[in-house]
Amino acid sequence: MVPTFWTDIIKKPEQGIYPHIIILAHMILGTGLVYISPRSNLAFLVLITSFFTLYYFKADQRFKLIVGVVLTLFILPVVGVRNIFYLEVIFQISVFAALALGLNIVVGFAGLLDLGYVAFYAVGAYLWAFFGSQQYYVLPFAPGTQPSNLPFLLPGDAFYLFMFAAIFVAALTGILLGTPVLRLRGDYLAIVTLGFGEVIRVLANNLDKPLNFTNGPQGITPIQRPTMPQAAVDVFNKLFGGVVGHEVSPADMYNVMFYLLALAVIIVIVFVTRRLDDSKIGRAWTAIREDETAAIAMGIPLVKMKLAAFAVGASFAGVMGVLLAGSRTFISPESFSFMQSIGVLSMVILGGSGSIPGVILGAATVTILNLQVLQGLSLHLSQLRQSDAVIPIINFAWADLSTQLDPAKYQRLLFGLILILMMIFRPAGLIPSQRRKRELASDEAEGGE
Amino acid sequence: MKRFLKSINVPELLRPLGQLIFFSLGSTIFLSAIALVLALILDRTVVGQTLFERLNVSLYTYTLVNLPQVAIDGLTIGFVYAAIALGYTMVYGVLEFINFAHSEIFAVGAFVGVEILIALDTFGILADASILMAYIYLILAILGGMLAAGGLAVAVERVAYRPLRHASRLVPLISAIGVSFLLQDVIRLVESLTTGQFNRIFPTFGNFDSRVILAKMTMGTTPITLGMSIKSIIVIVSAVLMLVALNYLVNATKIGKAIRAVAQDHPTASLMGIDVNRIISLTFLVGGMLGGAAGVLYALKFTRIDPFVGFFPGLKAFTAAVLGGIGNMTGALLGGIVLGMLETFAGSYMGVFTMGAAGSEYKDIFAFSILILVLIFRPQGLMGANVAQKA
Amino acid sequence: MALLETNNIVKNFGGLIAVNKVNFKLESGRIVSIIGPNGAGKTTFFNTLTGIYKPDQGRITFNGRPLNGLRPDQIASRGIARTFQNIRLFGNMSVIENILVGMHVHLKQSSIDTLFHLPFFKKEERESEQKAEELMTYVGLQGVGNELAKNLPYGGQRRLEIARALAADPLMLLLDEPAAGMNPQETEDIIRLFRRIRDEKGITILLIEHDMRVVMNISEQICVMDHGEKIAEGTPDEIRSNTQVIEAYLGRGAAAGQHEEKNA
Repeated sequence: MVPTFWTDIIKKPEQGIYPHIIILAHMILGTGLVYISPRSNLAFLVLITSFFTLYYFKADQRFKLIVGVVLTLFILPVVGVRNIFYLEVIFQISVFAALALGLNIVVGFAGLLDLGYVAFYAVGAYLWAFFGSQQYYVLPFAPGTQPSNLPFLLPGDAFYLFMFAAIFVAALTGILLGTPVLRLRGDYLAIVTLGFGEVIRVLANNLDKPLNFTNGPQGITPIQRPTMPQAAVDVFNKLFGGVVGHEVSPADMYNVMFYLLALAVIIVIVFVTRRLDDSKIGRAWTAIREDETAAIAMGIPLVKMKLAAFAVGASFAGVMGVLLAGSRTFISPESFSFMQSIGVLSMVILGGSGSIPGVILGAATVTILNLQVLQGLSLHLSQLRQSDAVIPIINFAWADLSTQLDPAKYQRLLFGLILILMMIFRPAGLIPSQRRKRELASDEAEGGE
Repeated sequence: MKRFLKSINVPELLRPLGQLIFFSLGSTIFLSAIALVLALILDRTVVGQTLFERLNVSLYTYTLVNLPQVAIDGLTIGFVYAAIALGYTMVYGVLEFINFAHSEIFAVGAFVGVEILIALDTFGILADASILMAYIYLILAILGGMLAAGGLAVAVERVAYRPLRHASRLVPLISAIGVSFLLQDVIRLVESLTTGQFNRIFPTFGNFDSRVILAKMTMGTTPITLGMSIKSIIVIVSAVLMLVALNYLVNATKIGKAIRAVAQDHPTASLMGIDVNRIISLTFLVGGMLGGAAGVLYALKFTRIDPFVGFFPGLKAFTAAVLGGIGNMTGALLGGIVLGMLETFAGSYMGVFTMGAAGSEYKDIFAFSILILVLIFRPQGLMGANVAQKA
Repeated sequence: MALLETNNIVKNFGGLIAVNKVNFKLESGRIVSIIGPNGAGKTTFFNTLTGIYKPDQGRITFNGRPLNGLRPDQIASRGIARTFQNIRLFGNMSVIENILVGMHVHLKQSSIDTLFHLPFFKKEERESEQKAEELMTYVGLQGVGNELAKNLPYGGQRRLEIARALAADPLMLLLDEPAAGMNPQETEDIIRLFRRIRDEKGITILLIEHDMRVVMNISEQICVMDHGEKIAEGTPDEIRSNTQVIEAYLGRGAAAGQHEEKNA
């Protein structure tokens, strides 16, 4: 074979200029495709997978950082404003990535299978839903009977305060729930946490009496959105107005802002996770995961360290809960079902428990499968149903297909398959976690060893 | 024939019967006493007054009059829990593994049984069935549910658990959670594709809905009839039969001996010439069959089923197994009955006792509270031996 | 004063008495072995000392303070480190991380130090890394710091377990069958290592061992257990000639010999 530019790229993706070219090419290709056809899911997939290329290829760190910043802070918001569905996808990926990173501390690092993780998400969400809505004034009224002109308890500014408050409230919840049960063996702990998740959900469903805290199954709405300075809209319009092609409305801008907030939370989480992982605390967690008996014999206080993992994981979920309540302006118990917990778990397992890039990849993959592939299939099916198309050979009219067969609702199937297949074929996940390589003096002394 | 009769180990048939009666009576008396004492205390408070104003009856009388009905209902659901709990406990005894998908095995049993009956119903067979034939069809449905659930349990073990048998503890558990979710949607998919809907109703036939009247009385001014539906009697009788049969299988046959040997120690059992894999499959088969039968009985009792029907009964049955001492079969019976009773008592009286602030809507998490308390204070369960964690 | 003293320790498992009224004294700076046939209660005795099991009766005093009622991690931080009969490393952590985990009780970094990489954190991490490397060299594990512990050969894993225990700077080291499965050369090396640990670091060593070459070679004192009870105590020479011990234990020498051959 004649060595060409292409064979070089395939052969030497690990060195020199080639990786940089691949990364740039992928990003530009994705952006271009989305720009040309803003409604194509495929184009969006090409764009979003450029993060993978960015992660996978070995390139200059500064270069990677710049490309990453351009992608997340420039290209994605612009693409998202042009097609609001993409922004929703990106936002959900960010939310789930943050949740999965939080669960990863509990499951991936400390090895504690928490099946009720969304309980903490719910705590955060209801925290803001209660204080950031009229619910305080609704307390004496049964659901649906409250007068219509009630004021909001707190102004939108308080939202940002509550993002911080949620860290502590959720962590405290984690400690309260964890203290009695963290002594339990792993499989029992899993079932008990499942129970806690259900308890929180049932409470949310039923605490509409004797005092109406949660408004029961109907949920709380409207919830205050955080105040957004008009300047933000103006700046965004000034900067990106040209590429977007139309004036950006405050409503769109809100979505961009929530995406950016979620992104900021993720960055903090990744930072905290990495720092902790590489310290006494993180080593203690991993030691507990590997062998509890040996860990305790080395002087690691099991319950205290497990509680720490529980609390840290919970606090991340709490923050995202506040963010969810603020962005959706509506919260109901349905968002915090057992299925959601398993969804987040399947993201961690798919990506690779204990691995930060893996977990983010897992969250992105599962969310895209949910939002784009399953929903895309649903859309496609409903179009087929309306047409008079017929499946050949068996001569079955699409129109006769049950309307219950809505692929978008088959998330359990997806989560279930992910969990089973990963456990059997690749338990360490798509991107297995790697122990940090230290630069050791003795390694150098040994030379080639 | 004579030799066959001689070979039956009569004490092993009677022992579980005795246990069941003892557990049922014991928990009924115990819980009734608690309810009555509470009622006596609360009668003098605002709780009693409120009730008196509403129904013109004292809280104590109200509690007393309702007791038999509550106990019967508790017993019915308790036996269903016990039958499911046995599936968890048998698998746990043999593999030290929580078969999270057992709740869906139960659901599949329910669906297959109900679909058989619906199919019979569409041909008009059920409508003109005599009472005798109705029972035969019901037994047919139960057998169908058992076969399907048992077969599925074996298949699931083969595909999703066996490859993971030597992995760390949480790996098969995660796989089992996956199976549970997958099966829920597979049921839904199959039902949607074939019938166009996934909520199914147990057809009405036979005399299952009629009630046997036990007593009539009046409470205040309202007349009350105490009765037991035929359904409940069927559920209790079939559950008792199955439990006795299972006990016989495990404690008085050669296969049972092999199961117990495997539960003790896999390598040793296999050195004794026992095919460990076959015994594990068998355990799943038996546990699955019990779960499947329980599914059909559950559908009979509660009429409406959907693909997620297994979740709560499954979790409660697991709680029952832990409550009794997981791995211990008698414990599963005890746990099931106690839990079913507790839950029904709480569901029936909590609303009245708390003046409606917390009623039966908390029934489902009641079981969890028990689970958590048991695990914290007595992790070996009511009957389990104190088993130190295997290193 | 003795470093470790047990008074009438009893541990039973639902009727089976695994450790029965054991009185035991260990002077600081010695190397002492506990021997006894399989099932004699040696490992249970270790587990009771380290708090994994709570004694049903009796008192344990270590370094002048009672250990009763403490959790295993609290006991570890009092200065008792141990290894396990069936090696229990943190398999998916690197060699050096295993040793760093051993230092857990001495690390003072707070979560604030950790999150913001304050100077104290960096200094402590650098120093502990250095110390870990010294320990690796000390036990003869140079150049494998970044390997995963599970990928080390058997002998290396045994050494790493010792290094991890040493990382806690213990006053006393409990070794549960440290020479099991080693060939004669490795056994000799490891005996030398134990002597160095005692002589250079002044750490008291208590070991359980089946290999009589090791026991007789290294021990200054031997304690013999059978059926949960201490049946004899003395110097190797005294134990060799103790008739009770010969009956209970050395009489089964043939079995012990086979055991060694199988492992070699």
